[in-house]
Amino acid sequence: MAIDRKKIIEEMSKVKVLGNEEGLIPVFGVYVQQLPAEFWNGFARRIVNSVPEDLVEAAEALLVNAAHECGYHTGYGIITSDEFKKVVGPMIESEPEDVLHAAFAIFTAWGWAQSEVIEIVANEKMVVRAYDYYESDVMLYGKAERPSAYMIRGVAAAFMDLAYGGDYGPEGNTGIRTFKCEQTKGIEIGDDYAEFVVTRN
Amino acid sequence: MAIEKRTQFEIDHRFDPVKNRHYINGVCSVLHCHHYATLYTQLAVDAVDFEGLRHLVETSEDVFYETLDRYFKEKGVEAIEEKIEIAQQYWQALGMGLIRFTGIGKYEVVAEMEYSHLDEGWLKKWGGNDKPVNFFTVGFVAAVAALVNDRPTRSFQARETRGLVCGDEKSEFKAVVK
Repeated sequence: MAIDRKKIIEEMSKVKVLGNEEGLIPVFGVYVQQLPAEFWNGFARRIVNSVPEDLVEAAEALLVNAAHECGYHTGYGIITSDEFKKVVGPMIESEPEDVLHAAFAIFTAWGWAQSEVIEIVANEKMVVRAYDYYESDVMLYGKAERPSAYMIRGVAAAFMDLAYGGDYGPEGNTGIRTFKCEQTKGIEIGDDYAEFVVTRN
Repeated sequence: MAIEKRTQFEIDHRFDPVKNRHYINGVCSVLHCHHYATLYTQLAVDAVDFEGLRHLVETSEDVFYETLDRYFKEKGVEAIEEKIEIAQQYWQALGMGLIRFTGIGKYEVVAEMEYSHLDEGWLKKWGGNDKPVNFFTVGFVAAVAALVNDRPTRSFQARETRGLVCGDEKSEFKAVVK
């Protein structure tokens, strides 16, 4: 594996965006915004905490799904972008595994989660670890009852869709949701790091 | 001769290489796309029994009130005109669209958007909608209304009265004192 994580993080973390004259940021085939992390955490915790216990998993699934679609479409835009081809392209020896390693380096560089791929079983499984991520900021002291890195879960599954789910489906009808992700560890529940296991759906 | 001085929102964007996080004016910030924003919105709309929209609007109001209030205090921004200018430029810099506060009063605040991240994203993802969907900005308008009147959060009740997503020429927002 020739992926140079350090170099990718150094290069990609320099990317800084601002709204254009219309106040919009159209990049990678999508519109992006850069809101305080607290906004996303705040709504996620309020909605999960507002539902009865038997609906918590369903509410969490919807939050994961938002990230899954985000990761699928934005992820596709990123790995087909000129920036990706320029910085990461020359490092790729083995597809799609090297692309997955690179994708999590970018995920790290852009501040979503300091994360890396620990294991890949081609076409079947991926294990990701995150050592720092904004979704763990929901706890200030002690630990939560349940893991809450919904965004990482959704995006990790989406990246496996892009790697092994077949042709990209821009309408979201094909290629997406061929994988699912479970969070098995989390800083917010008292572990030293978070771990995510992605398997076939 | 009078010299007009335009208030400029200052952006200090830093990357922490140890934690790999981005900070805009000291606030941990993340890039997310319109798929994420519109699906969060749809989730809030659907969660009728659990007050999803109230949670979304209040989260927005709380977060942006705190962020702008901190900026105003750090930079010594006190005049209403300056606060409004900063708020408009802040929303634009974040990529949320072009907002203009067209009326500021003690009892009501009015704003409009010619371009909006939520509306553009919604139109791109799902097409139009029969009701406005920009609840992120509803909370933002409530926050700005409170800040320019030196009042705490939940002082104003905001709503979107017209929406780009509905086919209107502009989105319009109105916040009224509670």
